[in-house]
Amino acid sequence: MDLTFDEHEAAFRDELRAWLEVNRPGPEPAGEDARWAWRMDWHRRLASGRWAGVHWPVEYGGRGATYTQSAIFFEELGRAGAPLPGDALGLLLAGPTLMAWGSEELRQRLLPTILAGSEPWCQGFSEPDAGSDLAALRTKATRDGDEWVIEGQKVWTSNAQYAKWCMLIARTGSDSPKKHHGLTYFVMDMEQPGLQIRPLRQITGESEFNELFIEGARVPHDHVVGGVGNGWKVTLTTLMNERAGLGFFLQVRLRQQVDALAAEAAARGLLDDPRVADRLGDLHMRAEAIRLTAYRGLTSTEKHGQPGPEGSVTKWMWSEASQELAQLAVDVLGPDALVEGTAWAHELLRSRGNSIEGGTTEVLKNIVAERVLGLPRR
Amino acid sequence: MHFDFTDDQHEIKRTARDLLASRSPFARVREAAEGGERDEALWRELCELGWPGIAVSERHGGHGLGSVELGVLLEELGYACAVTPLLGTVLAALAIEHGGSDAQRERWLPRLSSGELTGALGRAGGVVADAPGAGVIVLLDDAGGGRLLAGDEAEVEATVTIDPTRAYGRVAGGGEPLGGDVAAARDRATVAVAAELVGICQRALELTTAYVKERRQFDTPIGAFQAISHRCAEMLKQTEQARSATYFAAWAADAAPERLAEGAAMAMAAAGDAGRTVTASAIQAHGGIGFTWEADVHWLYKRAQLDAQLLGGPGHQRAQLARMLAARVAA
Repeated sequence: MDLTFDEHEAAFRDELRAWLEVNRPGPEPAGEDARWAWRMDWHRRLASGRWAGVHWPVEYGGRGATYTQSAIFFEELGRAGAPLPGDALGLLLAGPTLMAWGSEELRQRLLPTILAGSEPWCQGFSEPDAGSDLAALRTKATRDGDEWVIEGQKVWTSNAQYAKWCMLIARTGSDSPKKHHGLTYFVMDMEQPGLQIRPLRQITGESEFNELFIEGARVPHDHVVGGVGNGWKVTLTTLMNERAGLGFFLQVRLRQQVDALAAEAAARGLLDDPRVADRLGDLHMRAEAIRLTAYRGLTSTEKHGQPGPEGSVTKWMWSEASQELAQLAVDVLGPDALVEGTAWAHELLRSRGNSIEGGTTEVLKNIVAERVLGLPRR
Repeated sequence: MHFDFTDDQHEIKRTARDLLASRSPFARVREAAEGGERDEALWRELCELGWPGIAVSERHGGHGLGSVELGVLLEELGYACAVTPLLGTVLAALAIEHGGSDAQRERWLPRLSSGELTGALGRAGGVVADAPGAGVIVLLDDAGGGRLLAGDEAEVEATVTIDPTRAYGRVAGGGEPLGGDVAAARDRATVAVAAELVGICQRALELTTAYVKERRQFDTPIGAFQAISHRCAEMLKQTEQARSATYFAAWAADAAPERLAEGAAMAMAAAGDAGRTVTASAIQAHGGIGFTWEADVHWLYKRAQLDAQLLGGPGHQRAQLARMLAARVAA
């Protein structure tokens, strides 16, 4: 057991820290479009320093970072108060999926633009009737010569309005009784007629996500990823990458928020209130335990190729802690934390989504019960 | 960064698990607990294997291994709920090793390490684990001081607690001050108790998982009902949280002492809570049978309740953590 960074890890961290000292993203602007432009600028800045796609293999322009170095990257980004690169979906999801399943032509054509941040991605997975039960999706693709014609609707599609490409999963087979069959994974060009994007207004009042209506959009056959009918396996590759590394970024944010709330509580003389101290002490422990548990998962992944039982619970632990922290902030600050436009008010509302997106807590519990504990399915 | 046991540590864990599975199954725990006696044969065997001295330095007759290895053994002790004076003995040895004077180390460690004497450690005025029959007792007070009492100068009044798998007592008598860093002694002892709690959680989780796969109601294994399966998932989450915090604290005790105080408080905040809620969940998921004396889950629940109180409970630890957090934020 050694919970310090070895010399390669420390050297990686120091080089990144030094780079982040000089290269700053600047203050976050107001407004959806301005914020997107700011995050894409940051993506390109990272790319210029070879810090985009650090976990990508060297042959694709990455640094071939280990899991631990990749975790360090996200921790340091969070520590510096910098945002994620604008096209995180391309770097974290589309890129690794293409590396695993994409044709040589697709990889040559698309991977460099992901790194460079010139052609951002969105993810066309969830549908109105296919959320936790993703394989129940109904969007249909029909072959027409060298092309596929797509009809259907996707939802929770972040960045759809800015994206050049979409990771799209659609039904291509006849109605097999096994709904995981007959699915195909496509790379769909977002710059075409036949697509309508409607922003979804969320409980914060913002619109991070969209509905995507697909009416006769066309995808060339050579934009199929992993073969016709093999879409579920390809989708699982994308989903497995969904939280890799990102968790460390979120954990650091949680750590900073716990510290900020402790400072606010101290400034109000509330640290002597045993109820406040008890909850703050609890969240302090939980924020650290999330980081430690995530590192245990990393070690297990490096040794065995997959995380152990602990790997299934970090996202769940994080979403719960983030929600309880925001609620504690309201109790510490009173109505001041409920004023529109303040950071805590935003966090209180935004954190409700944390236990829904990327796998609801209920689904995560099912996964722990069935795959980790081996309990029977109903 | 390598957050897992080394091969050697894994080997210690496997060996300990196997040994206790064969020597101290629940039938044996029950026999000893109901008879009000410790498992003498097991204790002799553990002494021959050198368990009491695993973390005692070699110059004092121990193996010179660290808090991580000690934690491994205590985790397995909790997993088996074995009825021996090992916990009190290693806690006293830890306190004397890290918080005692040279003379105190010379005088007590060799005999604790060999198991010739058993030890005990607890809070002054409180219920002290393994105090009856102990050859040396360490008492920690809330002001941060510590005293050491030879067994023959301590007045020990045996106390019957809800946990019959361990002997407890209240201790009176003067003794002499611990000559060294008492805070370090307390923190290490806290981590050691947390390690036992992690093992208790793991056993409660495994017993429960096995039971809910077998037990059928409404023509279905009850583990297929989400009311049950989600409870089991919660048990796993709390166990893993406690494990992460405790392993970190044990590592800090050996390799990063400046982080030990915070690590120890986190370990007990996490493991104290987890020990109580996971074992309570085990009783609940077992249904009526879980409430009977005949089922084995109650041994775990009872020991977890005592462990969580021995050196300052989870609430106390969270208050400490809030203070440490405030100090860091103010700096």
